[in-house]
Amino acid sequence: MAQADDMHTASGRFGLVAMLLAPIILVNSFVFLLPILNLFRISFNEALPGGGIGPGGTLENWYKLAEDSYYLEIMLRSVGMSLLVTLLALLCSYPIALYVHRAKGAWRTFLFVLVVSPLLTSAVVRTYGWIAMLADQGLINNALGLLGFSPLRLLYNQTGIVIGLTEILMPYMILALLAGFGRLDPRCEEAALTLGATPVQTFWRIIVPLTAPGIALGCLLCFVLCVSSFITPRILGGGRVFLLATEIYDQAIVTLNWPGAATLSILVLVIFGAALVVYTRAVNRLN
Amino acid sequence: MATAQSAAAGDGAFLSLRGLRKVYTDFVAVENLHLDVPKGELIALLGPSGCGKTTTLRMIAGLASATAGHVMVGGRDITSAPPYDRDMGVVFQSYALFPHMTVAKNIAFGLQMRKVPRAEIDRRVAEAISLVRLNGMEERRPRELSGGQQQRVALARALVIRPSILLFDEPLSNLDAKLRDEMRTEIRDIQQRLGITAVFVTHDQSEALAMCDKVAVLNAGRLEQFGSPIELYEHPANPFVASFVGRVNRLPGTAAGTTVKVGAHDVILPKPMTGAVEVMVRPHRIALGGPSDTAPGANRVTGTISQVAYAGDLVQYGIDVGGTRWFVEQQTTAARPPEVPGTPVSLSWRVEDTLAFPAQG
Amino acid sequence: MEEARTSWPLKILVLLLFAFLLVPVLVVIPLSFSGENTLRFPPTSWSLRWYGAIFQNQRIMSGFRISATLATLVTILTLAITLPAAYVIVRLRTRGSEFLYNVFTAPLLLPTIVLGLAILIIFAPLGLLGTFTGIALGHLVLTVPYGIRVTATALAGLAVPVEEAAATLGARPLVVFTRITLPLIAPGLLSAAALSFLVSFDELVITLFLAGPRVSTLPFEMFRHLETRSDPLIAAIAVLMIALTLGAVMIVHRTVGLSKSFAGGR
Repeated sequence: MAQADDMHTASGRFGLVAMLLAPIILVNSFVFLLPILNLFRISFNEALPGGGIGPGGTLENWYKLAEDSYYLEIMLRSVGMSLLVTLLALLCSYPIALYVHRAKGAWRTFLFVLVVSPLLTSAVVRTYGWIAMLADQGLINNALGLLGFSPLRLLYNQTGIVIGLTEILMPYMILALLAGFGRLDPRCEEAALTLGATPVQTFWRIIVPLTAPGIALGCLLCFVLCVSSFITPRILGGGRVFLLATEIYDQAIVTLNWPGAATLSILVLVIFGAALVVYTRAVNRLN
Repeated sequence: MATAQSAAAGDGAFLSLRGLRKVYTDFVAVENLHLDVPKGELIALLGPSGCGKTTTLRMIAGLASATAGHVMVGGRDITSAPPYDRDMGVVFQSYALFPHMTVAKNIAFGLQMRKVPRAEIDRRVAEAISLVRLNGMEERRPRELSGGQQQRVALARALVIRPSILLFDEPLSNLDAKLRDEMRTEIRDIQQRLGITAVFVTHDQSEALAMCDKVAVLNAGRLEQFGSPIELYEHPANPFVASFVGRVNRLPGTAAGTTVKVGAHDVILPKPMTGAVEVMVRPHRIALGGPSDTAPGANRVTGTISQVAYAGDLVQYGIDVGGTRWFVEQQTTAARPPEVPGTPVSLSWRVEDTLAFPAQG
Repeated sequence: MEEARTSWPLKILVLLLFAFLLVPVLVVIPLSFSGENTLRFPPTSWSLRWYGAIFQNQRIMSGFRISATLATLVTILTLAITLPAAYVIVRLRTRGSEFLYNVFTAPLLLPTIVLGLAILIIFAPLGLLGTFTGIALGHLVLTVPYGIRVTATALAGLAVPVEEAAATLGARPLVVFTRITLPLIAPGLLSAAALSFLVSFDELVITLFLAGPRVSTLPFEMFRHLETRSDPLIAAIAVLMIALTLGAVMIVHRTVGLSKSFAGGR
């Protein structure tokens, strides 16, 4: 059929190619390109009460974002919480990733499936699992009670969200770390050990620097997913913890302020961009 | 088909490439290639990687389009025919067997495409299977076969459709050395028995010389020489062919008539030349002797052995001749151990074994 | 060899971390057999009552029916859209095809909360909110990128000479596609289908923006239920969903391998 090296055939079959690509271009334009471009546009439209969209060309939404300390607060809370979750996810994921990386054969496959399986489980289900763990009558508080400790308030506050998100984002972190561990040659470790380094020195001087690109990628991924996560903060926060994502949803669905929601969305994308810049800088420095 | 073949009979050439050219966005893969292949012959397209040999084969098969020029089979111009209308059997480098079909189904595929009746398909597939000696393997899948067996299936699949031309794209490069020698003989044998016209792409000069009636040497998209193995080896058209087909010592010199000054030595040429030349002598055509031995009617230089590489059947000497390194190969024998470095020797060879080309700018 | 390098403290740490990773999913299983009215773990009594309650809950049952229909339709559409596109992208390897691949997989780089809002604003004036069509289109924004990743991987794994060999043996392009290409990429298509189904069936964020009173999905109903109370009903549904997921995972893992569908290059 169409050959990779054959320009003549490719141009001769332009019509066929266009026909094969038409559905995906249509869908991609209608549910992705057009909506996203429109989102940028809307963020410069005036918001009218009751869900209306007023005339464009105004920076009013952006002024509001800058002036109202409420938005600054939720932005700082979102970013701060995401940084904390990213750090915790890294600390919890690194040993698992290292262990899976060193495992061999069927055992490794099995561990890999274990790591990936939560990813394929609905976010609602996993969040619900955390309610069962953290609730006043949940596993942790019942266990504490049994040991004679007083119960902890773990649900419907930031603590619960941080615990839940850490666990929910761990598989992404582990996958990114494993991808980065490809560079980790066991012979390097062995070489370091034969040169007289203790296991601890080997870890900090050899393993960590070699796996740094994977760490950077995992942190980027985790941070970005955390800043924009909605379901887990909403359910575990019980509507009492206000974050960027929950605010976007509330403005879009409850107060029907679409330009405001669009502006917050762009803000999230800007944070994404900033994270990407930091990541690129970090990776460049590593090389 | 039958008419196309009879039309070719008068022509002498069955497959003709007329000014074939292939240009990719950033380079010219094949430039103005003319080639005539007589019916029933096996010819090789030989050259280093990137010389355009595979591109040429793909243009013959219709898998790549020609930028200019024509491909003629039996007098019919098939340049723009799609691959499925060309009636060519192709044996791919990677064999390209259909992994989801059994051996028998793989071989039957081309016949099914030709709407051959079921009973005849069964008969011809059985025939092809015994031709390539794969009896008993009919129901195996390609992945259950060894490399050599997969190669045979690919050959049978290409042969069973009785193609007008058989095309081989480096078919032996994935086999180990021993199997490769075996398959060489087998492919040559089947090709001659069926009297089928075939084109064989390879980068292995010994493969090309040993198997083929004629060899086309390609370099950087151009045809350097087209001739029989003996012509290529004994009368190379240019330094590229001389050094690509077999090994040579390359020595700069200045010619006046039939004598060339190479360093401090005079070398006699078989035919007169003038000016700067490149003299070439094949390492195994040089005889080693004592420093004062003389060989009448032969070229002779003296030097000192500087390096000895013993390879069992051959021993290769690096010899310092007035500051230039020469290579000489000698058959080994139990009767005489190889020379040791530092030994002064004389090198002599026949005048007819001396090749010379005008020096290239 | 790794026995020597992995010390016992590290093994215990890894075990604890694996527990942390898996317990929230596993805890749901015993909880679903709780006999109590409210969420309490561990439960003090056991029963199957919450499984029975699923079938009495009209909203959940309707959500399940809609989700199953939706996921099926979205899966079929995804395959129909991505297979031809992947074919063009993989088989015409030019600079343009890489660009197309990046554009078509780009939605996966954006947060679903942003995608959901963006689609909401476009769909509202078109009357697509709260409709089955609207939600299906919204899900395609996620399933099409996954689908193109998996089908493109499958096609790239198919050696071009195999198709060429068929052509030289006399097979026309359509015959090459049906007799050679399609059977050889069938495992890839199957895992693309399983993945699309799972993504659509589990999707919640985009659905939250697009669903309405008449049309809502199972995850949407579960979310609404959880916003008001957290009884073991959700645990019972979750166990059924995990079983469904396991089935899909087995299909994907047996055919293409999970790492390829998730870690597939951008």
